[in-house]
Amino acid sequence: MSGLSIQNVKKSFGQTHILKGIDLEIPDGEFVILVGPSGCGKSTLLNCIAGLEEVTEGRILMGDIDMTYAAPKDRDIAMVFQSYALYPNMNVRKNIAFGLEIRKMPKQEIEEIVDRVAKLLQIENLLDRKPSQLSGGQRQRVAMGRSLARQPSVFLFDEPLSNLDAKLRVEMRTEIKKLHQRLGTTIVYVTHDQIEAMTLADRIAIMRGGEVQQFGTPQEVYDEPANIFVAGFMGSPSMNFLRVEVGGADGQYHVLVASEGHTYKLPSPPTQADLSAYVGKQVILGIRPEQLTHVMPHLESGPFVTKVAVKVEVTEPTGADTLVLTRINDEECECRVHPAEAGKPGEMMDILFNMEKAVFFDSETEARI
Amino acid sequence: MSQTKVNDARYKAITGRAILYAVLVIVALYYLAPLFLMIVTSFRSMEEIRVGQLIEWPKTFTFDAWAAAWNQVQIGAREDLGLKPYFMNSIRMVIPSVLLSTAFGALNGYVLSFWKFRGSELFFAFLLAGCFLPFQAILLPHSIVLGKMGISGSTLGLVFTHVVYGVAFTTLFFRNYYVNLPGELIKAAKLDGAGFWMIFYRIILPLSTPILVVSIIWQFTQIWNDFLFGVVFSDPNSQPVTVGLNNMVNSTTGEKRYNVDMAGAIIAALPTVLVYVVAGKYFVRGLTAGSVKG
Amino acid sequence: MTTHNAQASVLNENKLDGNRMSTSKRSKGIDYWLPKLVLSPTVAITIVFIYGFILWTTILSFTKSRILPQYEFVGFEQYVKLFLNDRWMGALANLAIFGILFIGICMVVGLVFAILLDQNIRAEGALRTIYLYPMALSFIVTGTVWKWIMNPTVGIEKFMHDIGFSGFSFDWIVDPDMAIYTVVIAGIWQSSGFVMAIFLAGLRGIDTSIIKAAQLDGASLFAVYTRVIIPSMRPVFFSAFIMLAHIAIKSFDLIMALTGGGPGNATDVPAIFMYQFSFTRGQLGIGASSAVIMLMGVTAILIPYLYSELRGEKQ
Repeated sequence: MSGLSIQNVKKSFGQTHILKGIDLEIPDGEFVILVGPSGCGKSTLLNCIAGLEEVTEGRILMGDIDMTYAAPKDRDIAMVFQSYALYPNMNVRKNIAFGLEIRKMPKQEIEEIVDRVAKLLQIENLLDRKPSQLSGGQRQRVAMGRSLARQPSVFLFDEPLSNLDAKLRVEMRTEIKKLHQRLGTTIVYVTHDQIEAMTLADRIAIMRGGEVQQFGTPQEVYDEPANIFVAGFMGSPSMNFLRVEVGGADGQYHVLVASEGHTYKLPSPPTQADLSAYVGKQVILGIRPEQLTHVMPHLESGPFVTKVAVKVEVTEPTGADTLVLTRINDEECECRVHPAEAGKPGEMMDILFNMEKAVFFDSETEARI
Repeated sequence: MSQTKVNDARYKAITGRAILYAVLVIVALYYLAPLFLMIVTSFRSMEEIRVGQLIEWPKTFTFDAWAAAWNQVQIGAREDLGLKPYFMNSIRMVIPSVLLSTAFGALNGYVLSFWKFRGSELFFAFLLAGCFLPFQAILLPHSIVLGKMGISGSTLGLVFTHVVYGVAFTTLFFRNYYVNLPGELIKAAKLDGAGFWMIFYRIILPLSTPILVVSIIWQFTQIWNDFLFGVVFSDPNSQPVTVGLNNMVNSTTGEKRYNVDMAGAIIAALPTVLVYVVAGKYFVRGLTAGSVKG
Repeated sequence: MTTHNAQASVLNENKLDGNRMSTSKRSKGIDYWLPKLVLSPTVAITIVFIYGFILWTTILSFTKSRILPQYEFVGFEQYVKLFLNDRWMGALANLAIFGILFIGICMVVGLVFAILLDQNIRAEGALRTIYLYPMALSFIVTGTVWKWIMNPTVGIEKFMHDIGFSGFSFDWIVDPDMAIYTVVIAGIWQSSGFVMAIFLAGLRGIDTSIIKAAQLDGASLFAVYTRVIIPSMRPVFFSAFIMLAHIAIKSFDLIMALTGGGPGNATDVPAIFMYQFSFTRGQLGIGASSAVIMLMGVTAILIPYLYSELRGEKQ
């Protein structure tokens, strides 16, 4: 078992720079998720860790051993691929055993390991089938079984759930989480699905354009996003971004929002941001839909809560809540309200703005204030 | 009103189908006619042909023409008679040529798909252009080099020639087949610790059966049917059956024996036609592999 | 527990391995060299036997080589001789006639029968097999058969006379003005099924939702083919054309077996010209120059094809 240290890793193809200096320190046993839009370099980074692609610059350490230029087979790494990459010509048993056979493990031991892995993943009854005879979920299990059998010190997952249907995806997500809790092995997991990232990770690395935007726990990246990109990427529905003007003085600051001809002063909690340098200037207010609710008496009196009358434009029921789309400061803004409280399109309704978790971004640099 | 209209349309459709099928069958007969004529004629005797018709069922079936074509007719000045020695030359030539060119093609395709390196794509483009090479452009130097190598006019020389100029096509087949296999398969195998040969034998080769069949059939047909290399690079002791047939048909001595010519043509065509009948699907795939992408 | 230990030791070894590798920074493993080694014979063959020999032939075409190659350079003399040679000009004219008719008719026949076969025909497999089997034959066999069928004294002409059509005449194969058309007939018989197979594969490759959309737009079957399907098969037309043009320029065996280039030189084509001047008439220089001209012809057709092919791959 060992941690993983990625130091200033760069990867270029000619003039195209895929990775522009990645630094990640991953302690032993941590579940780290690389997330980001397609083309952000997350899969390339995973391939570099696996040794399937050679880095242009930088170092990759496992434990305290420099593995930057080691061959994939010498890295003590196992990988689960998006397409599962099961060997179509071998049955499940052979698929799981292949890596052990090549490592010249005695037959007896291979059998024991295959049986143990099959039991762990509940695929004992599939051992003699060919991959083509398996369902998507079963293939997924076999692919995991193949990497488990090797008992590597690091697992890599490359979008392992993206080929499964929604229900199965949730099931397998839980399964992977349980497995990690049980084995405690370091996992690096690539996905473009931020819900997967939130639910599974110990820490999330959000990537864009070959750079890590933020590396932190799910709650950190959700509540304290480093910049607008991270704030917008994590969370569904996405955070609302409103251009607002800052007012106030002496540690008591507020921002101004307008709705249907009225202007409201929304107080900014001093714990969230120091807006002293921005008085009279524009900043970007980031506020998640769940902070914009229907009127709830127990909240209404809160120190950072303001009641705003808005016009309902569109409603989107999700079952548990209804999302109400409205316009604030002439920008679209989504609120999460109780289904029974939601107004109809064209009607006015009161919304509580809870600024307790609001964040502010510099409108130039897009970094959080 | 509407009732009759519907009937009309249906009636029209049925006539349309009938005409369609009639056309297709007539065309099929056009394609089949020469084959039919060949077979029928090869079983007729020469007397019958002389007094009779182009198209006529044999009054008496006789294998005389077949026997003559196989090992009785004098072709050129050689001692052993008939097409048989040429046929044997073709077999001796075609088997090693097909196996070697296919083996090279498989390995090349494997490298060009899964072990790309700087310049490998460029090389593939150059090799691809070689598929379209008009052989006239290399005939002269090649005959000089075969002479220098001491294998001109021999079956070995022909095998060498067919392998050298067949590799471009076999490589194309395998490369285009392999690039459609998921690349993650190779990555997984590398992480499992398998090396170059291990991945080839244990993973790629077992998946290659269809393209192996395509390549073998294609090469077999091409090499068996080749005439240009046969006529340029072989001497009477190594000439393939296409050259033998051409010599037999065009020998000017004696009476033209059409039944023997046809029997000879069938003998020369038999191996490739059999392959076509047995594995036509793969034959078509080979034909279209170079022309239709994907 | 023992398994665990055994595996752990395996892992340790691996780690040591990794360590050793990393110290010599970019030392390449056997898997780095092996692919190159495996490819190297083919690279050598391609360089020497394809591109090297093309160069060699080109060099020969600038020498005064006759029966034996010699390397006394005479500039473009052989090319001048070549284009002053009536036989060569005749061969080029024949190739033009043969090429245009062969390619044109094969494309039309192939497309028409591909469309007809695409109408849910019951015996499609069998019909396709029949249309395509000539492609499995050697051109020598095709030539032998058609030579006999078209021979006026024993073939179709005699047959028609015997069944009463005494005015019927089909003696093209012995008529110097018409003999080249017999080559066209035999060539089409052999290759049109192949073109049909290409077109049929192209038709089957079209996204059926496009066709459904066109039908919902109210297009008739005819309009669906002419307005939607055929235009979207442009790449297929292109590759069928390339294959046929390639067959036409290289055509040698068929003519050798069917007419032997005759009567006289009436069906001479560049491939036969090249063969005879190089190997039976001892005129290596002219033979080489004719080969270079043929190569240039193929290249002229091929370059746009490869260009579009490579551009397509990039997209």
